[in-house]
Amino acid sequence: MKIKTKTQTRRSASIPAIGVPIIETRNVIKDFGGVHATDNLSLAIQPGELHCMIGPNGAGKSTFFKLLMGTIRPTSGTIHLKGQDITRLEPHQRARKGLGIKFQNMQVYQELTVFQNFFVPLRRHYKPREMPELVDRLLRRIHMTGLEDELVKNLSHGQQQWLAIGQAIALEPEVLLLDEPAAGMGPDETASTAKILNELNADGMTVIVIEHDMEFIRSLHSRTSVLHLGTLFAQGSFEEIEQNEDVLSIYLGKA
Amino acid sequence: MNHPKAGILGFVGLLNGPQTMGRSRLFWGSFAVVVVLAYLAPTYLGIKPYKVNEFLVSGFLAASLSILWGYGGILSLGQAAFFGIGGYTFGVIGINLWDLTGNTHLALLGGILVPTIFAAIVGAIMFFARLKGVYIAILMLVLSLLFETFMLQTADPDVYSIGKAMLGGSNGLRPASDIPSAAFGWGDSVAEFNGRRVGFYYFVLTLLIAVYLGLRCLLNSSFGYLLVAIREDPDRTATFGYDVCLIQLAVFCIAAALAGLAGSLDTARINRVDPELVFGVSANIMVVIWVAVGGRKDLTAAILGAITLEWMFLWLTTSGNPEYAQIVMGGILILVMLIAPEGIFIFLGNRLGRLYARSTALVSRREDT
Repeated sequence: MKIKTKTQTRRSASIPAIGVPIIETRNVIKDFGGVHATDNLSLAIQPGELHCMIGPNGAGKSTFFKLLMGTIRPTSGTIHLKGQDITRLEPHQRARKGLGIKFQNMQVYQELTVFQNFFVPLRRHYKPREMPELVDRLLRRIHMTGLEDELVKNLSHGQQQWLAIGQAIALEPEVLLLDEPAAGMGPDETASTAKILNELNADGMTVIVIEHDMEFIRSLHSRTSVLHLGTLFAQGSFEEIEQNEDVLSIYLGKA
Repeated sequence: MNHPKAGILGFVGLLNGPQTMGRSRLFWGSFAVVVVLAYLAPTYLGIKPYKVNEFLVSGFLAASLSILWGYGGILSLGQAAFFGIGGYTFGVIGINLWDLTGNTHLALLGGILVPTIFAAIVGAIMFFARLKGVYIAILMLVLSLLFETFMLQTADPDVYSIGKAMLGGSNGLRPASDIPSAAFGWGDSVAEFNGRRVGFYYFVLTLLIAVYLGLRCLLNSSFGYLLVAIREDPDRTATFGYDVCLIQLAVFCIAAALAGLAGSLDTARINRVDPELVFGVSANIMVVIWVAVGGRKDLTAAILGAITLEWMFLWLTTSGNPEYAQIVMGGILILVMLIAPEGIFIFLGNRLGRLYARSTALVSRREDT
């Protein structure tokens, strides 16, 4: 249970005061040549939440993730992790503070084996001889047991998505950001993905998901935020969002 | 094994990691044969050491660019700049300290350290300013050419001299007769390796093998994994908590140290260093051609590429019309890029590896495919 102990010690040292959101953006604006990709976006995610973000194309969802991870910097506004201002930190510094991410375009190392794909994120905390056991445990968490020696390019699209999730959780992040984890998956794979995410969340990980697949979101039973034109448009349980007529109309292009 | 093993076998295991080609018995068998043949070469081939020595020195320079470009994904068109700085440093320190010490320990150390420090400064500026790809390649070439231009106008010994050494403009470092050969030891027991003699051949061959095996270990260590990860996807690797700029800077410095070593050895070999030879366009581009033709993504292939092409280049320039030599080199580059873009020796290595795996009954995962 080495992995657990480590996670717990790290978490207990940094448990925020009650009521402090684990992720918070305050009035974040990101300009891309005059277009506001996010426009005065203020959003808070509570520790332990499984949170979905939806919205029409161009609503600023992926931009929001990139701002959280630090691959792009906001034009104005601040970003907070556990109450601490991380706006000026580099991506690798944010990763060390407990952010894990899977970007929209899967970034797995195609030419390497599954084991080697885990080597890079695991090497931050573990010695090579500890890895076979850790990789085995990670593969169980993403429902891919026994595939460590497979070349990644031989995996199915869905398995590559899970591997990318596995790489992100290899860091034992406190907050996991997943940009379209079920994209391009069939119904069975989508259901498995939802199960994986629910299990991770049950282990105490805060998970934020961007998704288009409404059935997938429904199966997550999560709180949901709707982004529209770079701002927070609506928030609530998925059932509430589903019945919100304003949300329906922005998807159909009436607002 | 497809991952490094820790423990007693760790060091040996690292020789055979996933980042270097050739892990089979066939590979190590032929490696042993090549090494033995190489050591015996002067006795049976009747080759002239002063020519072959040059090929061996280029092996270090090829290894330098292979690590930087092939493994680290950072193309530099100016790797010879560090070669030249190393060469000049070796010469300047050698000229000044020879009477005092009678060896070239400090000259060689300086020839490695000065380019490394220079690389640390230039690299820090480039990588932390987020320069990428073609900008680094061009910037390094420009830097090398700036050195050439500067060194060409250092003919005035009153201004441009460091101790007893005069930079000497286009004629190169003077007094050339005082530029020492590689010499190690103290007092009466100094071993000096004249670059035109066979002793230098054995010395450089041994050093090249040692450096090759050492680099294999480095590339198959966690550092090697990281390099390849950064080459494949720097942004993704940063999200795993790695400071990509710092690792790129580290590999840039290691490559510069290797190029500096090559430059020092070359100055020691011919007791001469001049601006056009070490900083010129063709000096820089030849390195890229060796490595691209041999195979940049594998250390063995890159070194073999350098030695083979240098040999071929010499053969072309001495037998027939020398003016065609560079054209033929360019032709080879284009041909290889079309037929085997990964490089000729990686191409051959993969083919051989597949044949070998098929022909042995014991097909295990460690065989190179």
